[in-house]
Amino acid sequence: MFTTTILGQAFLNGLSLSAIYVLIALGFTLLFGIMKVVNFAHGSFAMLGGYALYYLYGVLGLPYLPAILLSAFGVATAGLVLEVLVFRWFYQKMFQSMIGLLGLNIAIVFTCVIVFDVYERSIPPALDGVLQCGDLIIPTDRLLVVAIAAVVLLAFWAFMSLTRYGLAMRAAAQDVEIAETQGIRTGQIYKLAFFVAIFMAALAGGIYAQIYALSPFMGDRPLMVAFVVVILGGMGSIPGAALGGIIFGFGESFLSTFYGSAVSSFVSFGAVIALLILRPWGLLGVPE
Amino acid sequence: MSAFDTAIVDERQSFAVSRNVLWPGVALILAFLVGWPLFAPNPFLFTIATFIVLNAIGATSLHLIIRTGHISLGHAAFMGVGAYCCVLSVTRFGLPPVLGLVIGMAGPALLALIIGPVVLRLMGKYFVLVTFLLGEIIRMVFVEWTSVTGGSNGISGLPPLHPSLASPIATYYVCLAASVACVALCARILSSEVGRTIDSIREAEKVAECSGVPVIRLKVSIFVLACGLVGLQGGLLAFFLHYIDPTSFSMVESLNLVVMNVVGGMYSLGGPLIGTVFIVALPELLRGYVELQRVFFGIILIVVMAALPGGMVEIFGRARRLLSTQMDRTAR
Repeated sequence: MFTTTILGQAFLNGLSLSAIYVLIALGFTLLFGIMKVVNFAHGSFAMLGGYALYYLYGVLGLPYLPAILLSAFGVATAGLVLEVLVFRWFYQKMFQSMIGLLGLNIAIVFTCVIVFDVYERSIPPALDGVLQCGDLIIPTDRLLVVAIAAVVLLAFWAFMSLTRYGLAMRAAAQDVEIAETQGIRTGQIYKLAFFVAIFMAALAGGIYAQIYALSPFMGDRPLMVAFVVVILGGMGSIPGAALGGIIFGFGESFLSTFYGSAVSSFVSFGAVIALLILRPWGLLGVPE
Repeated sequence: MSAFDTAIVDERQSFAVSRNVLWPGVALILAFLVGWPLFAPNPFLFTIATFIVLNAIGATSLHLIIRTGHISLGHAAFMGVGAYCCVLSVTRFGLPPVLGLVIGMAGPALLALIIGPVVLRLMGKYFVLVTFLLGEIIRMVFVEWTSVTGGSNGISGLPPLHPSLASPIATYYVCLAASVACVALCARILSSEVGRTIDSIREAEKVAECSGVPVIRLKVSIFVLACGLVGLQGGLLAFFLHYIDPTSFSMVESLNLVVMNVVGGMYSLGGPLIGTVFIVALPELLRGYVELQRVFFGIILIVVMAALPGGMVEIFGRARRLLSTQMDRTAR
């Protein structure tokens, strides 16, 4: 049962799952940390990213790399319209945002049902090749996915820790009023954070839709995972979301490979509940 | 940080309805609820009305928990525990359906008594998160424990509550009676000494504790009571539908109950009642194009939350303030 082949396969699977979860959870936690909105529409943006990739790559036949970046960019740009129309009303109102954005999620999902119909579609894989290392079989498109996610995450990290805008964002996340008195234009920072968060969600959605299947309802699972991952890492903590995504991705992969998906869900949810009771602020969060 | 906006708390002052308006109003609504089936005996309306009065039980019982300052995202899971306890005791052990309803209330109440003392120590958003996860775990138990719960297929073939109560109109009246009793119980609790204590816990838990309020004990009691009541909704729902499955008790349903409270207004009992009618009836009224109706529903949720952060009860407060300023002006 615990042969190196299966372990290696589970490891690889965990790697790509972690990449998706971290991308989605980072955006979720960024929005929560800075604007105090619980973005229940996050999964629907991931779904839109999946459809954008489907049309750009699967239908129009653009090369893969420009297609996935362009689809995420397009969804994030379109999302800015929603930022002006919807999100702006809910900044710094945690509770109203939950319900209002749940409404947004319903509206987006069912608009997509009308536009794209409910049937599942599949996006063709980026690469067909297979790498063989001993007994280990590695599909190359999985490797590409992990590489893209790693590059985007690295860029995100560099942006947050090396640029002035990243610094401003972290300052706004710590204390909005003091950040404003220091001359940070929080309105712009909000827009920027929103754009970055939706970009990552749409990218992850494209990858997710490619590995699993594309349908208007595919956003529910990523949203749920983002929620749990962010709880695990600590609400609003960016390193926490990254760590939580990695733990959750690998945990899910290994547990479901060896014990089935039911056990995997029970164990991961149970562990997060235990953590919440003993250490409610999460692994890397800060107690209030 | 508390999960509540201070702005909402300020709005609350204007909701107090004077007694001479309240009682005739309640009597009028009750007369309408009892009387309308005589004039419009339409099976479709009966179904909607039964859903509304049933959901009113869940929404008001959740309202009790919300008044203590905790928002539960797992309330429908407790409803599910009630429904399954009720159904299993009737189909497996052959108990009379009425006794089944009692067991359906006792089951979730017992569960709440076990986990309440642990989870009610968590504040604000952490309680929201932990109840969300608990609800998901309970739902997974319904799905995975196939030998008892029937898995995702659920359990069907339930007998009616009583052979003479099988018709839709009788079901409606039974559910209405249960619902009115629950709402009355909640109203009585909230307007009593205990209700003041509950409000004091939400506004300033430490101060309440220093004044001698047994905070945890009271919160657990309210939690147990609320979960027992929602178990009653679960049991009645099972008898109404003759069928239960895990999707009726998922996180979406829990969220729906929260939405009813928030859309209606979280700080007075009228809120969840208005919210229930709004959330249950609106999708039915927009019927026709099912997808388009969901889109409108989503947009309405956004607009209501953006325009009325304190919920729809706020309309009355605003209207009254507007009216009084107008009257001031004319008096001058």
